[in-house]
Amino acid sequence: MALASFGAASVLLPVVALFVRAPWSRLGGALSGVGASTALRLSIEVSLAATAISVVVGVPLAWVLARGEFPGRNLLRAVVVLPIVLPPVVGGVGLLVALGRSGVVGRWLHDALGLQLTFTTAGAVVATTFVSMPLVVLATEAGLRGLDRRHERAAAAMGGSPWYVFRRVTLPMVAPQLAAGAVLTWARALGEFGATITFAGNLAGRTQTMPLAIYQARQVDPGGAIVLSLILVVVSVSVLVALGGRLTGPR
Amino acid sequence: MLEAAIEVPRGDVTVAAAFSAGHDETVALLGPNGAGKTTIVEAIAGLVPTASGTIVLDDEPIHDLPPERRPIGIAFQDGVLFPHLSVLENVAFPVRARGARPRAARAHALELLGRLAPGIDPGAKPGTLSGGARQRVALARALAGTPRVLILDEPLSAVDVSARAELRALLRRTLGSFDGPRLLVTHDPVEAMTLADRVVVLEGGRITQTGTPEEIRDAPRTRYAADLVGMNLFVGRLMPLEAGVGVLEAADGVVTVPWPEGVAVEPIDDVLATLAPADVALHAARPEGSARNVIQGVVEEVAILGDRARVRLSGSPRLVAEITTGSVARMAIRTGGAVWASFKAVEIHLMVERGPTDTL
Repeated sequence: MALASFGAASVLLPVVALFVRAPWSRLGGALSGVGASTALRLSIEVSLAATAISVVVGVPLAWVLARGEFPGRNLLRAVVVLPIVLPPVVGGVGLLVALGRSGVVGRWLHDALGLQLTFTTAGAVVATTFVSMPLVVLATEAGLRGLDRRHERAAAAMGGSPWYVFRRVTLPMVAPQLAAGAVLTWARALGEFGATITFAGNLAGRTQTMPLAIYQARQVDPGGAIVLSLILVVVSVSVLVALGGRLTGPR
Repeated sequence: MLEAAIEVPRGDVTVAAAFSAGHDETVALLGPNGAGKTTIVEAIAGLVPTASGTIVLDDEPIHDLPPERRPIGIAFQDGVLFPHLSVLENVAFPVRARGARPRAARAHALELLGRLAPGIDPGAKPGTLSGGARQRVALARALAGTPRVLILDEPLSAVDVSARAELRALLRRTLGSFDGPRLLVTHDPVEAMTLADRVVVLEGGRITQTGTPEEIRDAPRTRYAADLVGMNLFVGRLMPLEAGVGVLEAADGVVTVPWPEGVAVEPIDDVLATLAPADVALHAARPEGSARNVIQGVVEEVAILGDRARVRLSGSPRLVAEITTGSVARMAIRTGGAVWASFKAVEIHLMVERGPTDTL
């Protein structure tokens, strides 16, 4: 109990401190002064886009990792998990070298297709996806591995084509793990900072998500930084409470 | 007509089997656990790869087809119902998987459920059902895709005893009315004897004997077949005789049996009774003693299996007794000779087909 209390306190203390030190008297001014609504909207857009891409790309990836039998599968898994281990800044640098205007692929994208990712919202989405996707991949892979394969075999025996079986049996049966992974991915995406600022820059209205806005506000207006932080705390807790009880907790 | 001649790798052994099932025939694959029964039917359904061999249905090879294109319906052991789908959607699954509209598929599923699983809520999730109810839904699902071959894998193993009798009767009706070959996988000799027209005995991945239940009972070729398949089986009407005792009026004779526990004392039709041949004693003259059943017969056949001999008697009813070869010599038992058989009522094992009606 004592350890649990200590654990809870270590999470609660900074949050409580934010509430204590918030400049409640000039809340309105602080909000408009630091462009809170723009940053918040961008944060939500970028994190949702990154989550959607992570699910669309991550589920097939999880499938390959769970079901594929090929040499180098463990190496592939290590590479997929890498963004969890790496400091996000390193991811940002990597993305810059790969997809920046003079990057390995980025140069070609720019010259041939006229696409530029750096300093664009799309770039922020790419950086955020890079960092947060492993969570949904790992959760879904664990779900697929834990699946009783007899149901899929039964579905095939019942006349289901491989795609039909995936759609109506496999996917619904891993839905709880997939959803939990998606929530974690979204939460990670909402807080993403390092890779985004390194790869996409810190442009208000284009790449400046909440964490970046907080970082910038802290240098000119510490009170505004606290207000922005509080907003992020409230949004995150509301969403996690609304979803988390059902998706990440015991069913 | 289904003809299978296949070799299927399983672990470090290879299961090999060649057998056929006629259009209107139920063939039981009978064997101990691990004999390879399920492996064989799953190979026929295309769910496990075969090393070699052919599977031919009505002169048309199906062994190269993927599982979803083989016209086979399986009720798996333990049901293997989809846990996230309702009972109705489970049964509609094979119909929808083959491209039918959801509405038509559900109507077909409802019709099947009404026939095979009345009283089960079509909206319920499989996890809430009893073993017997799950097996009924599995049976409906196996039939839903209008397959040309029906496979039942251990349909009674996950069903508790009280629901078993009623389900066995349903299985018999369903197998009997199915238009095509039927395979029944079971480790239970009574199930094989009562539901199948022909029995394929599997041991250690090989077929050791094929024949009608009577043929295998009369002349089992292996110890396993002798111990489990070679039971005396009586089917008939059970009548009360005195307290705790009844008589079973089988087609070819009457035996005295203990009244089954917890069953109302009134005449009951379609009662099954088994008697192990080793529990039948043979005597040269009419025996004295406490055995309730004493039957005179003529030796039809003496089959030697190791140090045991199976003696088949004509009589009322017909019996198979298993005695030592020493006793055969001592009593000078030979084909055509007269002999007395006796067995105690308590050695007889009764199965009442008509269970309580509220077991669903």
